[in-house]
Amino acid sequence: MPQSTIVRLEGITKVYGMGDTTVHALAGIDLTIEQGEYCAIMGASGSGKSTMMNVIGCLDRPTDGQYYLDGQDVAQVGDRDLAHIRNQKLGFVFQQFHLLPQLSALENVMLPMVYASVPTAERRERATEALMRVGLGNRLQNRPNQLSGGQQQRVAIARAIVNRPVLLLADEPTGALDSTTTREILTIFGELNKSGMTVVMVTHESEVARCTNRVIWFKDGQVMQPYLAPEDLGTVTAA
Amino acid sequence: MDWVESGKMAVKTLTANKMRSSLTMLGMIIGNASVIAMVGIGQGAQRLASEQFESLGPNVLFVAPGSGQARQRTTNLPRTLVWDDAKAIASQVPSVQEVAAQKQGQYPIVYGGLNSSSSVTGTTPSFLSVRSFDVAKGRFLTDLDLQRNQRVVALGADLANRFFSDQDPIGKRIRIRNVSFQVIGVMRPKGSFLGSNQDDVAYIPLTTMASTLTGRTSPYGLDVTFISVSAKNEASVPAAEFQITNLLRRRHKIVSQDDFTVQAQKDILQIVGTITGGLTAMLAAIAGVSLLVGGIGIMNIMLVSVTERTQEIGLRKAIGASGQDILVQFMIEAVLLSAAGGLIGTGVGVGGTLLVATFSPLKAAISPAAIALAVSVSGTIGLVFGVIPARQAAKLDPIVALRSA
Ligand SMILES: Nc1ncnc2c1ncn2[C@@H]1O[C@H](COP(=O)(O)OP(=O)(O)O)[C@@H](O)[C@H]1O
Ligand SMILES: [Mg+2]
Repeated sequence: MPQSTIVRLEGITKVYGMGDTTVHALAGIDLTIEQGEYCAIMGASGSGKSTMMNVIGCLDRPTDGQYYLDGQDVAQVGDRDLAHIRNQKLGFVFQQFHLLPQLSALENVMLPMVYASVPTAERRERATEALMRVGLGNRLQNRPNQLSGGQQQRVAIARAIVNRPVLLLADEPTGALDSTTTREILTIFGELNKSGMTVVMVTHESEVARCTNRVIWFKDGQVMQPYLAPEDLGTVTAA
Repeated sequence: MDWVESGKMAVKTLTANKMRSSLTMLGMIIGNASVIAMVGIGQGAQRLASEQFESLGPNVLFVAPGSGQARQRTTNLPRTLVWDDAKAIASQVPSVQEVAAQKQGQYPIVYGGLNSSSSVTGTTPSFLSVRSFDVAKGRFLTDLDLQRNQRVVALGADLANRFFSDQDPIGKRIRIRNVSFQVIGVMRPKGSFLGSNQDDVAYIPLTTMASTLTGRTSPYGLDVTFISVSAKNEASVPAAEFQITNLLRRRHKIVSQDDFTVQAQKDILQIVGTITGGLTAMLAAIAGVSLLVGGIGIMNIMLVSVTERTQEIGLRKAIGASGQDILVQFMIEAVLLSAAGGLIGTGVGVGGTLLVATFSPLKAAISPAAIALAVSVSGTIGLVFGVIPARQAAKLDPIVALRSA
């Protein structure tokens, strides 16, 4: 598979507030992520990890800088097209799952395809397939409140991959889960990555980061270590 | 995202919270039901009044004492309209067929141990043909009865039935204000007119009425309550109206303001139409206010719903919903709520109208125009009052929305 750059950030800044109380959540980020990578973003709380995930995920616009997603300059794109990009190219997994309680697992997973105007029959087929991929083929009709936390997060992963995105983003996906369930979720991410999916995940747990191939270390809105091998995590955490 | 999909989603959301949805619809239900029932009842009243005046016949005119304005200002009408006026109209106005003078009062009537307080009308023989009344049994008043001040009475059907039930009333004697009258006839039932029962009336000679019951009270002669006139035909009604007015002005030596009013059936119909039409419009307006209140209720609940579903909105945006998708979603919910409320309300209103039509003399009618109006107005209300909440939802920043707990 030919290597291609999925994410390229150049001098990205994000400033919150005005006047005296400005916060430089991102203070000039240069970063590239290639097709097929499996990265963990780590750093102290408040160091800007979520802010950067939101920029990469096209949920938020940077104050300044260039962002190319899958070769496309997304800084110039309007709100409507940005929604389309989120729908087609990006998959999100959140710490709090964010499933719609009134919908079944299957319907939750079908939702992104609703906004992509996929025909109903195909929606059902692809959503079932995605749920089977995360091991929930037997829970299609369950509502979120009839599922455990780990199962809910698996539904959320199925929802994130169902539109075949080029990039899967997860902000502390295991933050609300116990260690056994965390391992199950990481296994799924690992499998997805092996099948070619680019995965970027924020975590504060070293054990979680050790499952990935690359750690991006954050501090005060800047990337301190863009290419840290997971084995070398001890060097930064000790510092 | 297509409309069918959006509609399905809205139905799902609304049915997920049945209690709230139905309470929200309640405003629209009440609003629509009241618009339809009110308009239906108003139009029923209009029709009832019109039909009753139409039943008088198109040739009939009435002459009453007092001018239009004076009649509104006072209940103390001038006693200037007299029997001689009626006779003059009959003999001197060429387009007039017949004339009946009427003098009315309310008196105790007694027969045996039974008594009642009923309407007594002193009139002339022409009353029958002018007002299209019929005699069922016996005879009506004659000119001879009037000339001789005979103490005879023709009873309305209900009155006869009350006093005599299965006996034959003809020839019996009843007492009207302690004066003995002989029953000479019973009238055919006529029904009620504007709420007063025309079959609960005793008819006696006009002259007898004046001499034995009321007394001759006017310096101008035998004063009457009103004069009923029938024109030769429908086409001669305007001419009759004009000629009667002229004749009475001359007879009463009017210089400025008339002391009488001449009204044709058409004029009365018009007045009745104006009054009941205004009544209907007022009822509809009151009911319309409740529609408006219903709309505000929907806006209120939708605003709450946007606040409660902030996370859902954020999530939808994160997975690819555009602001417009969100806008459409909330608009559809608002319109569905109001239109469904409108439809149910219409059903309730139609039901209520039918009930009124069945159990009251009001010929309440279901007006298709009112239904169409109410349903489209409620849909529009949903649109109008849904806009503000839907725009709020569409505007939400996905990150802020997702972060909100
Ligand atoms: N909407 C906001 N308004 C103001 N400051 C914010 C906002 N979002 C984040 N920040 C600030 O930006 C910094 C980075 O936050 P965040 O990206 O959430 O950090 P992390 O995810 O690494 O814990 C923090 O100092 C935070 O307080
Ligand atoms: Mg964070």
